[in-house]
Amino acid sequence: MKRHLLRLGIDVFFGAYIATIIDRILIPRVILDNVTTPFDGMHQALVIGLALVLAVLGSVTSASVGRLILDGSVSGSWQRTVAMNIAWISFTLTVLAGWVVTGISPSALFNGQGLEGAGRIFKALFTPNTDIIGSALLAMVETIYLAFMATAIAVPFSFALSFFAARNLMDHGAIPRTIYVAIRFVTNFTRSIEPLIWAIIFSVWVGIGPFAGMLALVVHTISSLTKQYSEQIEDVDTGPMEAISATGASRTQVVWFSVVPQCVIPFLSFTIYRWDINVRMATVIGLVGGGGIGTMLIQYQGLAQWREVGTIVILIALVVWIMDVISARIREALK
Amino acid sequence: MPPLISAEHLSFEYPNGFKALKNVSFTVEPGEFLVVIGLSGSGKSTLMRTINRLLEPTSGTLTFHGSDVTHIEGDALRRHRQKIGMIFQHFNLIKRHSVLRNTLYGALGQLSSMQSMLGHFSPDLCEKALRNLDIVGIREKADQRADSLSGGQQQRVAIARALMQDPMLLLADEPVASLDPATSHSVMKYLDRINKEFGTTVVCNLHFLSLVRQYATRVIALKAGEIVFEGQPSEITEQWFKEIYGDDATEVEIR
Ligand SMILES: Nc1ncnc2c1ncn2[C@@H]1O[C@H](COP(=O)(O)OP(=O)(O)OP(=O)(O)O)[C@@H](O)[C@H]1O
Ligand SMILES: [Mg+2]
Repeated sequence: MKRHLLRLGIDVFFGAYIATIIDRILIPRVILDNVTTPFDGMHQALVIGLALVLAVLGSVTSASVGRLILDGSVSGSWQRTVAMNIAWISFTLTVLAGWVVTGISPSALFNGQGLEGAGRIFKALFTPNTDIIGSALLAMVETIYLAFMATAIAVPFSFALSFFAARNLMDHGAIPRTIYVAIRFVTNFTRSIEPLIWAIIFSVWVGIGPFAGMLALVVHTISSLTKQYSEQIEDVDTGPMEAISATGASRTQVVWFSVVPQCVIPFLSFTIYRWDINVRMATVIGLVGGGGIGTMLIQYQGLAQWREVGTIVILIALVVWIMDVISARIREALK
Repeated sequence: MPPLISAEHLSFEYPNGFKALKNVSFTVEPGEFLVVIGLSGSGKSTLMRTINRLLEPTSGTLTFHGSDVTHIEGDALRRHRQKIGMIFQHFNLIKRHSVLRNTLYGALGQLSSMQSMLGHFSPDLCEKALRNLDIVGIREKADQRADSLSGGQQQRVAIARALMQDPMLLLADEPVASLDPATSHSVMKYLDRINKEFGTTVVCNLHFLSLVRQYATRVIALKAGEIVFEGQPSEITEQWFKEIYGDDATEVEIR
């Protein structure tokens, strides 16, 4: 029953999707040359109509894309051809619509004037202005500190939360399971929002600047580390847990004496890696005013001072590369 | 004297519905060295974990030292487990911690969470831990990391850890299954000595009948979650052997 509904849903989706792309993108932007038509009764009928046609076709005969996707095959040779063609048409339309929407234009990429401009910028980028190295380094240090503070503030929260977000420690009743689900939900949700967007939210809240950038990283780091930590906890060897339980130890003691010792090294390694990631993210956040090297970069970019931009870009690349090597070395040594 | 353990019609079903113990009844007298044998998957480990209540019986009654422990929980459960030491096939030590700390962890049940988590173990306890390490002959390894020891030595640390509980009962779940024959004997000898010198009751799973004959005072055989044999080690005849392990089995010696 559930499967049947799912199949019907997929058929309806493909019908509506094909109709929408043709009606909303391809006809107005390619055929009518950028005339926007209102989405009125006739157009709605077209979309719903094609959706229904495919749904009916799918359930009456078995020429159904839903069946093709769910079962991997369709019985009957013409039904199979129809289902395959619907799938192919959808794919082709997606490529066409994607091309139109992103405004892909090879002529813009290889046009003489454009190439000349690009050449100028690249030349400037590779003749960096060494005068600003001092201030750029200072801004870089600011970015590294920002990333460091965000990581350091997030770690205690993630550490505490991770034990409540580990399935194997939270499967002893309805309340623990609810807590587990709640934490997992919140961390998954906050993690799915990019730090850049958090930075924009926090810059409204606490004002634009490094503090907003750090808060954005803190939120993202808490949810990412909680996820990594708790997955590590779910992976621990249950033998020692059993042995400590068998001595009559309390739940807290079992976690502290058998789970934590198995996790400290991986936790450390995740944390260092996270700091490394945060340096990169802090740079990007700086672009929207989060302070540090990113903000400096966007300022010179605004002034079209490409030689200074080049200096900063090279510096960022260098620092990110060094941090990457160092963090990989440390993590290797921790194993 | 009343029996130390008395199990009546004990059954256990795993959450997935698998019945690992079916209507098992037996008693264990104080001071016995009871060995449980049976094929892989026959329910030996499950039986062990039911006795110290790492698992809760699905039905039946389990009496330990005169009190019904079938469904106890909370503090009563912790106190019950404190009276029973347990050692495992894979030793289950905290690898990164020292031998001494691992031994001290046997006393966790007697300590408050706060006190123990701050890492505070009294000088008396440390003294006792060292004495127990002495009993199993590895006092000089006290400061080494647990995972730097050989298998046999790790199992002896596990025994010392169990001794911290001053156990009335020692459960040993295949204590020598991952050890070579010579080391197996040395570990079994420590269990035997604890049984004889301290009068600690031992319930032990073993796979090798030669070891069973040497150390057991009584034997229980499990087959598919049921007791199919109970008696003296000397009573395990060829016929019983085939009954317990199946017709194709032949006995392997370990000396
Ligand atoms: N967590 C579990 N969930 C479901 N079934 C389980 C679980 N643990 C064990 N079993 C099953 O219960 C049966 C008895 O397992 P048990 O570990 O007690 O056997 P055993 O006699 O100790 O075997 P072995 O000699 O291999 O250690 C096995 O068939 C096993 O597959
Ligand atoms: Mg077992």
